[in-house]
Amino acid sequence: MTQATLPVVDIDALVRADEVHRDCYVSPAVFDLEMERIFGQAWVYVGHDSQIPAAGDYWTTLIGRESVVMTRDKQDAVHVLYNRCPHKGARVAPEGCGHVKGLFRCPYHAWTFNMDGKLRGVPYREGYEGTAFDIEDPRFSMKKVARVANYRGFVFASLAEEGVSFESFIAGVKSSLDNFCDRAPNGTVSVAGGVFRVMQRSNWKVFFENLNDTGHPIATHESSYRAARQYSNEKLDGEMPFQLHIIDGNGASPKFWSDLDLHAFDYGHSYMTAIFNAPEDPLSKAYFETLAEAKGEAAAREVLAVNRHNTIIYPSCSPHTSFQQWRVIRPISPDRTLVEIFTFRLDGAPEELLQRTFIYSNVVNSPSSIVMTDDVHVYAECQKGLETQGGDWVSQHRNAGQDQPYEGPDGGVIGVGSSELPIRNQFRAWHHYMSESTTPQAKESGS
Amino acid sequence: MKGSASETVAFEYDKIRDFLNFEARLLDQRKFDEWNALFTSEGMYWVPLADQQLDPVNHLSLVYEDAMMREVRINRLRHDRAWSQQPRSRTAHNVSCIVIEASYPDQGRVIVGSSFMMSEWRSFGLRTFAGLYTHDLRVSKDGYRIAEKRVDLIDSEGVFEPIEVFI
Repeated sequence: MTQATLPVVDIDALVRADEVHRDCYVSPAVFDLEMERIFGQAWVYVGHDSQIPAAGDYWTTLIGRESVVMTRDKQDAVHVLYNRCPHKGARVAPEGCGHVKGLFRCPYHAWTFNMDGKLRGVPYREGYEGTAFDIEDPRFSMKKVARVANYRGFVFASLAEEGVSFESFIAGVKSSLDNFCDRAPNGTVSVAGGVFRVMQRSNWKVFFENLNDTGHPIATHESSYRAARQYSNEKLDGEMPFQLHIIDGNGASPKFWSDLDLHAFDYGHSYMTAIFNAPEDPLSKAYFETLAEAKGEAAAREVLAVNRHNTIIYPSCSPHTSFQQWRVIRPISPDRTLVEIFTFRLDGAPEELLQRTFIYSNVVNSPSSIVMTDDVHVYAECQKGLETQGGDWVSQHRNAGQDQPYEGPDGGVIGVGSSELPIRNQFRAWHHYMSESTTPQAKESGS
Repeated sequence: MKGSASETVAFEYDKIRDFLNFEARLLDQRKFDEWNALFTSEGMYWVPLADQQLDPVNHLSLVYEDAMMREVRINRLRHDRAWSQQPRSRTAHNVSCIVIEASYPDQGRVIVGSSFMMSEWRSFGLRTFAGLYTHDLRVSKDGYRIAEKRVDLIDSEGVFEPIEVFI
């Protein structure tokens, strides 16, 4: 039985209303349980269907520890399959993005599969006569993950047969997905320009906590915003070109951060209102014209009025709607997290807008970012500190007990910009998932 | 623009080799200002993300920095609170297999290919970068100047921990 082999983890003892136990970050037993109960149940981001535009295209990734492949078939349907040959277990699709001519062919013994995973052909068919092998039996096809949802091109999957629907899961932050796409004159977006991949020497939750944390920029990012200001003062009479403006933002005053709003929702999701005002340069105006032409001016203004910094879709991704960035968080081990950063084109917008998006991404999300490097460093320092005997509890007290129900659009709970509300909210979801003693997935593998 | 290997005689191979070695040595000695001064005013430092990447503008790059962004990076590397630079990165470059790929003597321009390895030690240990350099050089009265330094890492599409110094 699966349950019997798992070490006993007392979930209730790890999470309090305003602090959590360090075991949440460093314990291998907790990590194993997260793989089963969080990543084995939750809706996890797989990819965007623009990564597989044509029949025969595929994209491989991870859901928890499961190697999966997202495919498109001739009927234009998108599938998510476990990337495992039912014969000897080899991964069928090579790592990354690619194309096959209508069917997968396992590199080991040449079993072939349709893009939906159905077994198509097996060499040496005569050898299977009179055996229990049956080409029609699903256990000889590539296995589909239990549930797949495709919302405006964003593909999520759940490994659990049963559980909350995608609609209920995403409800709180659905407006961010809509805004991500509605900013495109054509109403659609597509992945463009490649993928950044960054390894962090820290637990996956450390990164999630950082995404809506307004307490850290002024401290963590001092070297980069000071460097930008130094250049601006010495060489540009205080002027801040786009790239320096982005870097400089982290040095804003505590009042600036407090005045932002944080919105939190069920299942660990949240978002923060924007740090940057919508730019009003000629390019932004040209973009607005194309958006207004497609939607009408009032509707275009309404779309751009939804101006947010990071949205968190717990436990797997974080879109930045205003700059078309999408970060995907893949836990590797208790102290290793892979972050993949995608950049999107707003279909129908001027090409120069995408070029500016690339500039933003180069500055903020590249492995060479002079901003991100200090983040990644402090995450690793957190991990090292949490591995010590120096204290068992991690504080989440900032503005605890002050969060209020929000009556406006999206509902949920609202807190001041400096609040640790999003972190407490993530652990509320964490506790919820981790307390579910069994999932259909676990039952199946344990039987 | 026309050029051929036969015209490379106009350029002095030894001087080009010395220039590449000198450039790498400035980086290893953390003489970043002197290094940055080797570029032309419009000079770019480019580390493509994709293999055979043609375009730094319509595609993401690991780095695509002009004089301003290089100087901001240098300012940061010197800042006392550059947390991830405690201890500071130390590097050692090796530049080899230097070939003149094209030369345009009438324009005072030469394109130089080379291979490199850079070892870097920082807080999380020792790591290695390897790849190909392509230097687009201009001859000036002060010697060679870099119009573009292109760094094609052999693992450009791989997984990285943060990259802070110039490669």
